[in-house]
Parts: sequence; structure tokens; C-alpha cells
Amino acid sequence: MKYLLYGIGLLALAGPVWAVPCVTDDMGREVCLPAPAERIVALSPGVTELLYAAGAGDRLVGAVSFSDYPPEAADLPRVGSYDRLDLEALLALSPDLVVAWAGGNPEQQLERLPELGAPVFFSDAADFDAIASSLERLAALAGSEAEGHEAAEHLRGEVAELRARHADSAPVDVFYQIWESPLMTINGEHWISQTLALCGGVNLFAEQSSLVPRIGVEAVLARDPEAIITGGMGKADSTWLEAWRDFPDMTAVRRDNLFFVNPDLVQRATPRLLEGTRQICHHLEVVRERR
Amino acid sequence: MSDAETRRGIPTGTWPLVLLALAALLSQGLALALGSVSLSPDALLAVLGGGGESLHRTLVLDLRLPRALAAFGTGALLALAGALMQVLLRNPLADPYVLGLSGGASVSALLAMLAGLGGGLVAGAAFGGALASTLIVFGLAHGTGSWTPTRMLLTGVVMAAGWSALISFLLAVSPVEQLPGMLYWLMGDLSYAGSPWLVLGVAALSLVVMAPLGRTLNVLARGGMQAAALGVAVRPLEWTLYLVASLLTAVAVTTAGSIGFVGLMVPHMLRLQLGNDQRLILPASLLAGGTLLTLADTLARTLIAPQQLPVGVITALLGVPSFLYLLYRSR
Amino acid sequence: MTSLEAHGLIVDVPGRASGRPLDLRMAPGERWGVLGPNGAGKTTLLHTLAGLRVPRGGEVHLEGRALSRWRRREVARRLGVVFQERHDEFPASVLETALIGRHPYLSPWQREGETDIARAREALRHLELEHLEDRLVSSLSGGERQRVSLATVLTQAPCWWLVDEPTNHLDLHHQVATMALLEQQARQGCGVVMCLHDLNLAARWCSHLLLLYPDGEACWGAARDMLVPEALERLYNQALTTVDVDGAPVFVPVR
Repeated sequence: MKYLLYGIGLLALAGPVWAVPCVTDDMGREVCLPAPAERIVALSPGVTELLYAAGAGDRLVGAVSFSDYPPEAADLPRVGSYDRLDLEALLALSPDLVVAWAGGNPEQQLERLPELGAPVFFSDAADFDAIASSLERLAALAGSEAEGHEAAEHLRGEVAELRARHADSAPVDVFYQIWESPLMTINGEHWISQTLALCGGVNLFAEQSSLVPRIGVEAVLARDPEAIITGGMGKADSTWLEAWRDFPDMTAVRRDNLFFVNPDLVQRATPRLLEGTRQICHHLEVVRERR
Repeated sequence: MSDAETRRGIPTGTWPLVLLALAALLSQGLALALGSVSLSPDALLAVLGGGGESLHRTLVLDLRLPRALAAFGTGALLALAGALMQVLLRNPLADPYVLGLSGGASVSALLAMLAGLGGGLVAGAAFGGALASTLIVFGLAHGTGSWTPTRMLLTGVVMAAGWSALISFLLAVSPVEQLPGMLYWLMGDLSYAGSPWLVLGVAALSLVVMAPLGRTLNVLARGGMQAAALGVAVRPLEWTLYLVASLLTAVAVTTAGSIGFVGLMVPHMLRLQLGNDQRLILPASLLAGGTLLTLADTLARTLIAPQQLPVGVITALLGVPSFLYLLYRSR
Repeated sequence: MTSLEAHGLIVDVPGRASGRPLDLRMAPGERWGVLGPNGAGKTTLLHTLAGLRVPRGGEVHLEGRALSRWRRREVARRLGVVFQERHDEFPASVLETALIGRHPYLSPWQREGETDIARAREALRHLELEHLEDRLVSSLSGGERQRVSLATVLTQAPCWWLVDEPTNHLDLHHQVATMALLEQQARQGCGVVMCLHDLNLAARWCSHLLLLYPDGEACWGAARDMLVPEALERLYNQALTTVDVDGAPVFVPVR
């Protein structure tokens, strides 16, 4: 703690003191910086995307493995993978802000960061509201309030429009497949489930207790979804869907309601989720037409 | 065969085998009846009789039956391989994986998953890895000097440790979305099992191959020297045992990932109950191993349905207490 | 021609010079005792004579044919071995253990029949084990296990007995009974070769002796010619005094 104060003191002496950015992170903790962050490290691919969308991309100096969007993120120096951070590499970048993934990064490693002089913002965005508010708060810390606010407002507007358009759409029973072997889906608390709801889709496994439950094929057959939506191994790999054609009696198969969405667009809680949601809404419209 | 005669230690083993066969049938029935969707006995009989609802037919005939048979075949192979390995190494604590076989299979299978290969290729890679590990261990155990069970066991255990380090390495560097698949594979999971006919065929074939060797194995269990003194060609027999047990394990691992405990416990439990006549233990292991894995897999599918558990967890949870109980009771 | 012969035989004791090759002929009816200090290679010699170890040089001939040219199964019908070490990792009853002596006589598909079981029971009775036939071998005392091993070879009914320390773990009564059993086998036309620690048992029960020295030297011959105190003292590197009991010499180490 002494070092932190000392560090903040030094930083305060080093530059002119403008408005001191202070925000609350997703863990409910106050994060204050002496000046807008100049050197930011993002500890998950999703957080990296959020920071770019918040207009803080030019201040990012480090990211973790698999941070591949936007394309320029691929060139950022790496500080390990999200679940095993390379603290030395991280500190060597002398960051003045670390944006961590609450629940994703190892806590023991993060605990040491503040005492080593790097303030941490914990991000845990799990729905559109949180994504929008994250954009604003991250922008505030990075001194790009205008861009962040604009991105957040754009997102809110588009989501409201989608929600309004599908508010009265007939419900569609959907099985969303996250992974094939083992077969995995999502429960009602996952943002994908909320995305489905926005388009009038009903997640057939919403009541499950774990966020990403592993289920059996039998349970899917028994619940007879009207549509099956899946990501797939790669950006354009729909082989998982073909496997369902072994069960021609399923409503989804009979009506050919097997849809593929790019997993990057839905399986990260970032502004790109809007694009994924549009695709899902479009697919569900097709489902209704085939009734 | 009278009771008195079996007690005198020359069981032809008819009645334990009949009981085990009945248990095997019962376990298959349970596996067909239970699942996320519960089926009444009437509905099940209707489906088996060639009728029934279309959904029920799909559930029973397309999903449950192949899986129950694959579970039976895999369990049978593992238990048989365990029984053979135990005689080969003259160590009742040996199991099919003790020589690092599953480690080799796992590393190879994880590499295939990491390369984004599909189910069939992962299985093929696992098979190749298992056989490679077999050959490495045998080559090294042979070394420049003499081959002894202890030396072989030690070589296998050390190889297994090496493989497990490689497994940890692969898990550490793999992308997050691959991890669940890899972990389930490592814990053993029958949802990967395709057609059951390979495992069933191999199990039946190996029993036929091993049947005439039963008494010879009994003699081998008394030690290599003793066996040789009683007219057993020890070295060729040991080669045969090693290759057959490895092949069985490789096929089992290929079908369902590495499922622990079956190969160690089933022969051991049977031995505590039935003595150590391989002519009885080998077929009994086959039946009991198959039954145990079928039941375990049924539980894995239904315990917290629709969520699924890896079957390896269930075999351990079922097997460990019953094993400890039998061991405790046997003084 | 049921003799067991060593032709220029050099047993392979690791790290020891080859010493003197053994050229000897053991005939049915003879009871050979192999004497020597610890590490002289008595057990190795016994295993080599049984064809279980490859000699460094020379050959062992059974019925005039080199052991290496026999089928193992045929050897096992003629030559039985009682080992000093036993493997009891797996559970087995006393009767089952005696029954494995029938292994060389049964085809792969054949089960032990009534006659086999009768032979095994007869052997157990001979060694006073009939009341233990259902017990697990692992639950027996050392002496009882030793008798089970003897019963197994008795069931095997070979014409050559190669016995490593026949009286190991046995009480006095069973020591005598066991030596009497081996003598009876010899009288019935079997050959007996036994490794012995006890000089006096050898003096009492053996017709021929083979003395193995630690450096690989060896000498052999009829027992009465070999029981020379000076030779025995050199063999064990231990001073002995000799007394006569029942017309046989008894050797006692000097303090």
C-alpha cells in the first residue's frame, strides 16, 4: 500500500493534474487514477475488444493470448494467457491500468498487482447494459469519454430497436450448442440466453444450474427444439449441425432449422454481440416463416 | 458340479459365470430403460418388440443401445486387460494403465484434438499412442540386461509419469474452448463411443484366444521360474500376454478415453470372491467389467440428468468403496 | 539312460571367475548333496541343472540329450524343482497349489480330472497336509509352505528331484520325514539333487556330495570319500570337530 501511494504520488508530480478519473468496476470497487491511463494492459480477449470499442485502443500496450479482434490487437505484446498470466512481462510494460476479467483471471496473481503499482479494473460484462456501461467507464479511465459514450449510446439504441422489433414475435424453442464433444449448452443466466430472449427465442435449458452445463443428446431429443443454433469449431465450420441430421424426427431437423453463427460474435460479451444478435434474430424469423 | 467340489478349489465356475451373465443382462436392461427421458417397462418392451413411439425408438435403439453395448465392451476389455497385466507382472495391483499405456494414448489424442481433428482421427491417434507407448516400455524394459516384471513395472511407471507431464503441458497450452473436451476425454467418457461392434468383437476374440491359456496362466502366477519348471514356455507366453493386454487396453482407450479403476478393481474383487483360477477369473472379469461400466455409464447419464458426468468419476465412486469393503472383509 | 549329466558345465554366477568345469554323471537311485558356503552358486547350479538358467559354458544332458534340445513340457514330466523362493502374491488353496504339479501332463483344454485330484491328495497326505487342503497358501506357516512345495513336486511325479534346501523352515520331525521321502524316491528309481546348508543332514542322507568352493573350484564323489574334515573345513573356512553317532560322523563347529 505504501508503494501504491508512493507511485501515485510520483505520477501526480510527473504530469499536470486534470480531472482525476474515478469509476466503479464490476466488483463494486472504486478505481481512481491520478491521470487518464496511458499504458493499459487487457487480460482477456473480450476486454481487449471492449477497450478498442471504447476508443482506448491506442493506449493498449499489452494483451493475452487469443486476443485477435480488432486485427491490430494481434500485434500487441503478450503477457501470458488469460488463466496463467506472466506477471513479469506484465510489469515490464509498466502499465498504469490493468483491466482484468473477473472470474476468468487467477485471483492470486491479480491480488499482487496493486501493491506492485498497477491499479486494476475488474470487468465482468455479461449483458448489453453492462457492455454499454463498461464502454463508458473504461473510456473515462482512458480519457476517451466522447468515443466511449458514443459507442455505448449507439449500442443501447440498436439493442432497444431490436428489442422493440421482436417484442411481440412468437416464441421459438431454441437449443443453443456451445460445444459438441462434450455436448454443451448455456443456462438462463448466460448472455447468449438473454440474446435469444431478445429475439423471441426460448432457451430450452434455461433452468440448468451451471452456466455452461454439459448435457446428453437424449435430453435434446426429449425437449424437441424448433431450432438449433451453434457456433462450431472455427469461424465457418458447421459440421456440428450435420450430426443432428441423424435424428430426422426432430422438429428442428425436419424443418431444416439448423443455424450457424460465428462464435466470436456471440461467445464474447463485447459490442460485436450486437451483430451476433442480429444474425440470431434473423434466423429465428426464418424459423417462424417455416411454420 | 457340486458345491463341495467347488469348495475344494477346483471350480469349473459355472454358477458364478451364470450369475454374472444375468447381472450383465440386467445392466443392459437398466441402461436401455433409464435416461433423461424415463421409459416405462411397457414402452421399452414395445420398442424392443419392434414397435413403440418414434421418439422412444430413437432414444432406445439409436442412442442407448449402442452406448450400453459400447460401455459393456469397453468395461470387459479393461477388466480382461487388467487381469492379464496382473498375471504378467505377478502383481495384483497392476492395472491396464500401469505401464503408461493410457498416458501415451492420452498425449496422442490430445494432440489430435489440439490439431482440430475430428472424432475418428482422435480415436486413431489414441490407438497409435497406446501402441507406441507399449513398444517404448517393452523396448526399454528389455534393455541390455534381463527382463523382469519389476523392471518392466518400474519402466512403465516412470513412462506414465513422463506422459502425465506432457498431458499437463498440453492442457496448459491449449485454448480454453478445447479444455472441456480434453478433460472429459482424460476422465473417460462414453459419449465418444461410436459403433460398439469393435470393442465387443475384440472382447469375444480375446476370450477365445485366452481360454486355452487359463491353466498356464495359473502356473505363471506362481512366478516365472516355477512356471518354467512346470513346462511353461515363459518368455513367449509373456510376450503374448503383454501384446494382448496392450491391444485390449488400446482398443478400450480408443473407444472411451482413459477410464480408471475398472481394470484394477474388477479382477481383484473377483479374486477375493472366487480365488485365482484364470479359467474362471478371465471370463468373470469380462462379464463383471462390462456390467460395472454399463451401470456406471447409466448413472453418469442419469444422476443429474440432463447434465452428464464423465463415467470415470462414477467407476471410481462406485468401485473404491466396494473394493475397500471387500479388502477389509478379506482380512 | 535316465541319468542327469553335466558336460564341462560352468554355471553363470555374475562377477565370478569360471573355475573348474563340472563333468559328472548322476544316476537314478543316487542322492546328491550340494554343499558350499553362501554365494558359492548352489542355487544357480540347481537352476542350471533344471535348464532354467543358461550356463556360461558346457551342457546339461538328460537321458543323453542336451536339455536345450528338449521341449520344456517334456522336461517338466521328468524333472521337478523345489524352489527356495515362492510367489504367493495371488490367493491359492493348498490343493490348487499341489495340483499345478499336473500341468505338464494336461493339454490346454483339459481340466484336472479325478485321477489328478487323487494324486494331489495322496501327495498332501504324504506330507501331512491333508487337513489344510482348503486353506490359502498365504495363510500357512513357512514350514507348511515348504511341505506344500514338496507336495507339488510329488504330484508332478518326476524321475529327477532338484531340491533347494529341502529342510528350510521345517521342524526336526518334518526334516527327517522330508529326507526320508527323498530317500524313498531314490529307492524307487528317482535321482535326487539337493542343496544343503546342514553338513550333518548331508552326511546322514546323501549318497554323493558335490562341494562348491566360493572361487568356483569344485570336487565331487561318493559321500564317504568327500566327508573329510580337512576338505570341509576349507570349504566353510571353519574349524570342525567330528564325533561318531549311530555309526555316522557328526560335524560340530569349533568355537
